[in-house]
Amino acid sequence: MTTARRMSASVAAPEGVGIEVAEQFADATQQRHAAQLGMWAWLLTELLLFAGLFLCAAVLHVTHPAAVARAARHLKVWIGAANTAVLICSSLTMTGAITASRHGWRRWMLRCLLATAALGTLFLLLKGFEYYQDYLEHMTPFLDRPYALAGEPATRLYIDLYFLTTALHALHLTTGVAILLGMTWIARKPRFLHRHQNWIEVYGLYWHFIDLIWIMVFTLIYVVPR
Amino acid sequence: MSTSERAFRDPAPAPATIGRPPDYLHESHTLRSWFLTTDHKRIALLYLAAITAFFVVGAIAAGLIRLSLVVPNGEIFTNDTYNKIFTVHGVVMVWFFLIPSIPATFGNFLIPLMIGARDLAFPRLNLLSWYIFVGGALFTLADLIIGGVDTGWTFYAPFSTTFSNTYVIPALIGVIIVGFSSILTGLNFVVTIHAMRAPGMTWFRMPIFVWTHYATSLIFLLATPVITIALILLLMERAFGIGVFDPALGGDPVLFEHLFWFYSHPAVYIMVLPGMGVISEIVPAFAQKRIFGYRFIAYATIGLASITFVVWGHHMFVNGIGTGAAVVFSVLSFAVAVPSAVKVYNWTATIYKGRIRLQTPMLYAMGYIGLFVLGGLTGLFLATLAIDEHVHGTYFVVAHFHYIMVGGTMLAFLGGLHFWWPKFTGRLYPEAWGRISAFLIFIGFNVTFFPQFLLGYLGMPRRYHDYPPEFQLLNILSSAGATILAAGYLFPMVYLIWSLWFGERASANPWGARGLEWTTPSPPPAHNFARQPIVDFEPYAYPDPPADDDGAAHVG
Amino acid sequence: MSAPDTEPSLGGLLRHMRVAVAAFAALLVGLGAIVVLGVVAPSSASSVIMLVLLAAMVATVLLFSMEVPQEPPLTRFFSGLGFAWVAILVGMTLLDYFTR
Repeated sequence: MTTARRMSASVAAPEGVGIEVAEQFADATQQRHAAQLGMWAWLLTELLLFAGLFLCAAVLHVTHPAAVARAARHLKVWIGAANTAVLICSSLTMTGAITASRHGWRRWMLRCLLATAALGTLFLLLKGFEYYQDYLEHMTPFLDRPYALAGEPATRLYIDLYFLTTALHALHLTTGVAILLGMTWIARKPRFLHRHQNWIEVYGLYWHFIDLIWIMVFTLIYVVPR
Repeated sequence: MSTSERAFRDPAPAPATIGRPPDYLHESHTLRSWFLTTDHKRIALLYLAAITAFFVVGAIAAGLIRLSLVVPNGEIFTNDTYNKIFTVHGVVMVWFFLIPSIPATFGNFLIPLMIGARDLAFPRLNLLSWYIFVGGALFTLADLIIGGVDTGWTFYAPFSTTFSNTYVIPALIGVIIVGFSSILTGLNFVVTIHAMRAPGMTWFRMPIFVWTHYATSLIFLLATPVITIALILLLMERAFGIGVFDPALGGDPVLFEHLFWFYSHPAVYIMVLPGMGVISEIVPAFAQKRIFGYRFIAYATIGLASITFVVWGHHMFVNGIGTGAAVVFSVLSFAVAVPSAVKVYNWTATIYKGRIRLQTPMLYAMGYIGLFVLGGLTGLFLATLAIDEHVHGTYFVVAHFHYIMVGGTMLAFLGGLHFWWPKFTGRLYPEAWGRISAFLIFIGFNVTFFPQFLLGYLGMPRRYHDYPPEFQLLNILSSAGATILAAGYLFPMVYLIWSLWFGERASANPWGARGLEWTTPSPPPAHNFARQPIVDFEPYAYPDPPADDDGAAHVG
Repeated sequence: MSAPDTEPSLGGLLRHMRVAVAAFAALLVGLGAIVVLGVVAPSSASSVIMLVLLAAMVATVLLFSMEVPQEPPLTRFFSGLGFAWVAILVGMTLLDYFTR
């Protein structure tokens, strides 16, 4: 079962699925391994990047528990939950694209990639709507307008952290959707899977990881401190 | 006998220029072929040019600092100007010289050669990281010089977020950008060392240089993102008022220091470990002896890289962190001494009863070992809570880290530059001038920085140029040493450039050293090796010295 | 647009993705549980349970969506290394705040 799913392991790949070996590599296996490892190393840095923000949340939680709880109850937890569900769906469609690419099913791959991009865009639209709601409820302390919790200055720190964390995640997702659309544009060519199947694999890791980070953001920033 | 083995035993003289296949330097000559190259060797030279330029800027700032400190009442510069000058020195030397120095130049050039690869795993990414580095660093440098920043290289909140009236925002942006260059370089090295080793190049056949760069790259990957986010938080707080450190709202600036030192303490090892790798190559080559305790050095390298992540609190003993945490950080900091000492003992044991040749690289290496010991031992003073209370924020700290950074990294950099200069350029440097400059730097360095230990112990605080008159004598001594040091730096810049045209041509292996990089011609061809090397020999396979009674020379 | 003969129906594609579909369902269940515990019916033990659930969801994504067990040992090591380092960062910083 696992070996059959692992088409990328260079054994038993169907006709017309493969990669073009760049000159610095000895063979395709080495190139796949390097690309995969490179993406994991990058994801390591992404995890540590967000860990700094989670650390700030934990410290605020320890130093100002009441203010953090009060601020967290003003976050739009249902929009956050819906967005989590959207990203979980997009992870499934991304896996669909990877599976299809391993079997050389180009049309399914393209459909799944587009579906993933659409779900990512839906996430961003919901996120924008959430920010707009925050604006209407005077929960944007850094803007030049009254702040709903002005009586408790420490709540401001947590709200600021919420905006920074979600905005940084949204930046990652925006970049992700842009790369995804660019890759889909290239992948529409018939011979794409002959040459660059591992792009889909490597990109899939990134997408799943952005999903993973959001699950952590939702739980740690929206729900736990309430 | 394998190809590489034969190359060691019979280092064929380089064929005449005519009819010789073009090497990486002479393959093409256009500007485009340099600035759009993906050859790791050319990118290494691009880095070398860039960091040398930044070093000159940082050194000029250092000269101005020493000039100002010649008189006690701070009348040469205004306070603001002095603050801006030491910020230029700190930011440029730490972020734009020391951190990329050895990894981005020697690491870039030598890792593929040492493990028998054609290039790094991601050559275009490698070029991109050079552009990111130069772009970010020039941006910051322009800001530091035209506008000026007075926060020091540490950008502590809330001074940097709220109170400083200087141009902090562009400096932060530039430093954040340069961080991505580090991350990409580290990523490239990790993947290359894992995935691109030649057949037969097992982990324990890799030179220590490669081990130390592997450890350094892991630090790049694990620590740099944390400084990125910490600086982004500062930037957002200063630029838009979106932040978490503002004490007026109940925020804790010490949290910034935690994030900052979670990167910046390991960053010390980003600067030190590659230097240790260089020394581990030079010492066996000039003692003509197997390195002593190869595996212990390799393990100590990984040990140092790991321990360095759990000691950052020793920079924060006097800022109000919890007593329990301070004790834990202090005890863990002592542990750093163990792997450091393992390395020093192993280098010393390698020299013992070796056939020592005191050429320039070896002079630098021996200087390094001595100064690193002094810097390391004074580090133990600072790890001790009670003593740190007394000397924290004084010139004692300044002297300590300059013994590590200049006495360590800078000497290793210069030693490595002389050692591999023939490989980089195909030319030999003038040996006599090399030795003179090595002595000048060693003497100048100690005259500059040893008085600072005394000054710090007597209580002279860092970052002030207005000091009590009784400190003037030691300060003048220190400034006088700085002029000797400056002369020592100028010599290599002149004679190395001179040697590019007039130096004697180098053979493939002018030092009789071991390692794959010495089996390929100097300078190497564009793809490094004429044929894929197959590694069937141990690292540092120097011939055993003649047996003697106690047999000590055979260990290792 | 009709797929060529070689391409399967949606059911055929999903048949090759059984693990992924199961992981998808598990993640939705985990999300639901977190929302119930944290928003609908919070209790004093909620935080701990939610953190355990979060860890389980993270493990699900790593093990099944990102297929860590099928990667070479080194990649598995990398994926664990990151979380170990996050633990160092958070743990040692909080040590300071708890001992002040």
